[in-house]
Amino acid sequence: MDSAELQVVVGALHSSLTFREKSDRLSVVVPSDQLLSVAMKLRDSEPLSFDMLCAHTAIDWLKDEKIELIYQLYSTKHGHHLMMSVYVSRTEAVAVPSLHTVWQIAQWQEREVYDLFGICYSGHPDLRRILLEDDWKGFPLLKDYKDDFMLERPW
Amino acid sequence: MGLVTEKLPPMIEAFPGGPAVLTSIDAVINWARSNSLWPLTFGTSCCAIEVMMATGASNHDLARFGAEVARPSPRQADLLVIAGTIVKRMAPRLKTLYEQMAEPKYVIATGACAISGGPFIYESYSTIRGAHEIIPVDVYVPGCPPRPEAFFYGLLTLQKMIREGETIRKPGERRKPVLAALPPGITLEQIRAEMIQTLEQKAVVNLNG
Ligand code: SF4
Repeated sequence: MDSAELQVVVGALHSSLTFREKSDRLSVVVPSDQLLSVAMKLRDSEPLSFDMLCAHTAIDWLKDEKIELIYQLYSTKHGHHLMMSVYVSRTEAVAVPSLHTVWQIAQWQEREVYDLFGICYSGHPDLRRILLEDDWKGFPLLKDYKDDFMLERPW
Repeated sequence: MGLVTEKLPPMIEAFPGGPAVLTSIDAVINWARSNSLWPLTFGTSCCAIEVMMATGASNHDLARFGAEVARPSPRQADLLVIAGTIVKRMAPRLKTLYEQMAEPKYVIATGACAISGGPFIYESYSTIRGAHEIIPVDVYVPGCPPRPEAFFYGLLTLQKMIREGETIRKPGERRKPVLAALPPGITLEQIRAEMIQTLEQKAVVNLNG
């Protein structure tokens, strides 16, 4: 499916979905309380069949006080892509559901995002650090992260 | 080599003409060492593509300088080429690898990352700022990444250092680390002028032709 057709089908899944303009692949913003059910539908509905989570990462939007979680989906059956984002608040703890029940690989990818951004996924079976040392303090990819080892930019 | 470097000097030094013999043995040993530098395959990021792969491939052909036998085990390697960014978690492993290599061992640090931390010097939570913080370095090759030619220049510099450097009377004593930058006699202005010339040549298109 091309992205115009995809937008119609994905948009019909739930009324709260919004689409981003100006993106090179279809990009949908999902509210965090709908994440699990939408993900389930994306995988299971036949015309979509997003059976692969290629990448999961996050962006820290410091000024907007938000963290954007990004899921890159791909359908090996139909060959189409979708980018799914979820915004969570930076300051209050909002539970984001873990998607490992939908795509198993999410388990490790969510561990990485937890490791670097400190997102706590609810329902994750094994939320430990994956790249950094176990006793690391803080989450280094947050924009306001500082530690003693870092050199400040002199300008 | 241990027998030659440790036992031989005191024995021969006593004979008339002994020091001259030692000097010739030095020359032979150093010649042999400098022409059979076996590198350890240790590439941690983008520089490794340039230094380990491009130089080893047939186009540039590292074998010309006797350094193509990349060894996956530190026990068999003489030369540690630090090709890439060293992060905090890699640093202890790098040190272990260096310690496991047999003497004499040499280190070339290629690229901005291995020299100073390069593009990741500021505001990085993980990058070690220069390989010298962990192990002693013999030759630095600047660039991001250095071109294969630059790496060869670094390798030749190291070979020269080896030939002139250690003697069997004082094993383990080296020269100071050097920066294998521009070949002597060539100035930055010359390179700039040459680049401007090439760019101008390539940027002119003849529409009538
Ligand atoms: S010096 Fe440049 S090319 Fe080499 S590892 Fe660092 S960033 Fe990559």
